[in-house]
Amino acid sequence: MSQSRVVAAVEIGTSKIAVLLGEILGDAGLNIIGHAVSSSKGVKKGEITDLDKASDCVHAAILKAEANAKTRVDEVYLAQTGRHLMGNFNVGSSNISSSDGVVRLADIDAAKEDAKRRTLPRDRTYIHHIQNPFTLDGRPVDNPLSKEGRQLQVGYWSVHGDSEAVSDSLRVIRGIDLDVSDMIISSIASGVVLLEESEKENGALVIDMGGGTTDYVLYRKGFIVKTGVVPVGGDHITNDLSIGLRVARKSAEEFKIKNGRAYYESEDREEKVWLFGDMTIGDHEYPLAAITKIIEARVAEVFDIIKEQLIADEVFEPSDIASGVVLTGGSSQLVGIDEAARRRFGLDARVSEGPKDVAEELRVPEYSTTLGLLHYALTGQEENQQQAKPSGILRRLTGLFN
Amino acid sequence: MDTTTDIMFDQDTAQADLKIKIVGVGGAGTNAVVGLKLDDLGDVRLAAINTDAQALNQSPLAEKLVIGRSVTRGLGAGGEVEIGRAAAESDRDGISRLVGDSDLIIIVVGLGGGTGSAAAAVVAEVAVQTNALVLAFATLPFSFEGARRKRIAEESIGELRQLVHGLIPLPNDVLLQEGDEDTSVLNAFAVADRWIGRGVNSLCAMLLKTGLINQDFSSLRSVFQARGGKTIFGTGTATGGDYVKDALEELFICPLLHLGDRPAQLDRILVNIIGGADLGIAKVNEIMTQVTQRFGSREDIVFGAVIDESRRESIELCILAKAEIEARVAPPAEPRASMPKAKRVMTTGLGLETEISQDTRAPRPVHTSKLLQKKASDESQDEFTFVDGEDQRGYFDKTDRNDYNDEDLDVPTFMRRGIKIKIK
Repeated sequence: MSQSRVVAAVEIGTSKIAVLLGEILGDAGLNIIGHAVSSSKGVKKGEITDLDKASDCVHAAILKAEANAKTRVDEVYLAQTGRHLMGNFNVGSSNISSSDGVVRLADIDAAKEDAKRRTLPRDRTYIHHIQNPFTLDGRPVDNPLSKEGRQLQVGYWSVHGDSEAVSDSLRVIRGIDLDVSDMIISSIASGVVLLEESEKENGALVIDMGGGTTDYVLYRKGFIVKTGVVPVGGDHITNDLSIGLRVARKSAEEFKIKNGRAYYESEDREEKVWLFGDMTIGDHEYPLAAITKIIEARVAEVFDIIKEQLIADEVFEPSDIASGVVLTGGSSQLVGIDEAARRRFGLDARVSEGPKDVAEELRVPEYSTTLGLLHYALTGQEENQQQAKPSGILRRLTGLFN
Repeated sequence: MDTTTDIMFDQDTAQADLKIKIVGVGGAGTNAVVGLKLDDLGDVRLAAINTDAQALNQSPLAEKLVIGRSVTRGLGAGGEVEIGRAAAESDRDGISRLVGDSDLIIIVVGLGGGTGSAAAAVVAEVAVQTNALVLAFATLPFSFEGARRKRIAEESIGELRQLVHGLIPLPNDVLLQEGDEDTSVLNAFAVADRWIGRGVNSLCAMLLKTGLINQDFSSLRSVFQARGGKTIFGTGTATGGDYVKDALEELFICPLLHLGDRPAQLDRILVNIIGGADLGIAKVNEIMTQVTQRFGSREDIVFGAVIDESRRESIELCILAKAEIEARVAPPAEPRASMPKAKRVMTTGLGLETEISQDTRAPRPVHTSKLLQKKASDESQDEFTFVDGEDQRGYFDKTDRNDYNDEDLDVPTFMRRGIKIKIK
């Protein structure tokens, strides 16, 4: 066991904190040895609003996972979300300098550096630079090294966040004397485990609709071309219902789970649903139409915002998103959310059933982001490859949780 | 701005001599006052103030004041707040004469345009100086009227709130939820006027009519002792059938009472009941019991019940309360726990590179205060919540605005889109 280390994948969500413990066994792969989900406090819309409360919850979740696995955590991989995350696509280029016109390593490095040189304001921090394909004189090339050409270009989708918000999340982890080895934005972490390689090739849009935020990642031709966060999630649906129906949050949440649907149908006008359904005093009938209309408006708006952002960046090309929309996150449990996505995007849509290669109890939406974090914990220590990795990682999640 | 100035009222103001003046400011405010259908209340005086002389001339109100003739030549403010402000400032004397010699001044204004948004504050300022109790009903524009009007209205309401004793904001987005599903938007504008009408009528009836439980001016002013703060307002009305039950139900689902966090402190709640001769003490008791159950303890609630002889099997309930706003002052920036300066670049698969940088510089005050602010709000969201008028954000009340294309995404989508939700 001397080679192994225990990595905690931590997602500080708006409604839940998810922790997965993975034991990384050198080259042999990774065992998932513990997991815990606990409710979250002090987080709204994906951002920490109360450091103390959030810290308490995260610490409790990590301790629970440690107890579950009967081991101690060595390091933490942390998911990032929140509206403070933003991204730009930057293209860097270099002119091939060698006399024989063949691309050298130095030219590749120069193009990469050029793409990443854009500096950020003082209060912003880069989180990822995600590489896209090289082009040599305008033609895409997988690996430009030793190929002939005059100008090499490479694009990066660069994600950056508010330094203070990022620091706050790091502070939570440091509060229990743990080090954060890496941060991965939630959408990328979810996407990497939920999509097959072929889906990434064909193009797919992963939408992770959580409690406070909706994170998305668009893959085209195997590459991440855009990520984004819409600071709206299931909490908003609940709040809309609470205000619209004039009921307490708890009742609104129950309506959402019991009677909610992501789109409205005219038959809903005829149907009534009960607030408590237990014949107690104060019980009250509501038209189902009120519930579905409120939810439909909210869900459609979130999808429309995502579509708008994709169109604004000129990456919404339905033929290049052949694998369609893949939905995950707690709010993907909402009945009819796939149909709503189909209508708004005009793409095929499905609710993810979770990664096939892990134990059934980890296939729930709660764990897709943390599974993705473990993926990076495992692959991150290997040689940095530019291309998307073959989907080996999940096959190597050998000793599934028992 | 001073929010805690206590106004010394004349303790002996007799009900009979009580002078109430309702002042419409700007075009929308004037229209609302013209449209008021007050029960037969005797001496309530109606007045209007506008920059648009022609519009004002056409209104049937007794007292009218054109402001800013020198600025606009009587042609209106054209939606420009600066013009509206200059107009009001130039006619402070006229405003002072118009509002003078009143015990209660109710300002009615539609915010978002040029005249009302700017002049209401000036009218409020002048009115407060006369030592009258000053309340204001202010409608807020629909989201679809555009971000500009919305912004103007929000700025104006912030200013107005500091000046008057009680400000009742009426967001049109919220009020649209009342009434039939197929109410057109044009009718929707009239909905706000109807709400103002109910509120004003209830206030005046409570003060001027006699009944089963009389409330006088001193109970009203005890609720509105200090300026600033939040005012909570809701009404319910019903005719025929089981009108007590129906009116209570309508009061409880009044959209204005169902937004926002519960304010930290509700000092005093005033509940007024207007009924016909058939309103007996038994019915009043039933209402009192139910309202108490819903809104708080008996000691917090002041009830009034008056008889309007023209009513039959008809009742109108009105609730008014004042809550102090939590201080939203940024706490002193405390230095963050010192942390070693660290900057690391990490590389992971997929060509992801992660850069974590940290330093020990002082936190930006905005961010720190955001964290500390949260502590003030409690967890108990399950309780009945009261409206914070212009905040239509419920659970997200105390979080940063969620701006996207000039809309606040925390406000329910159906409200911003004007989708009517029928819940009965």
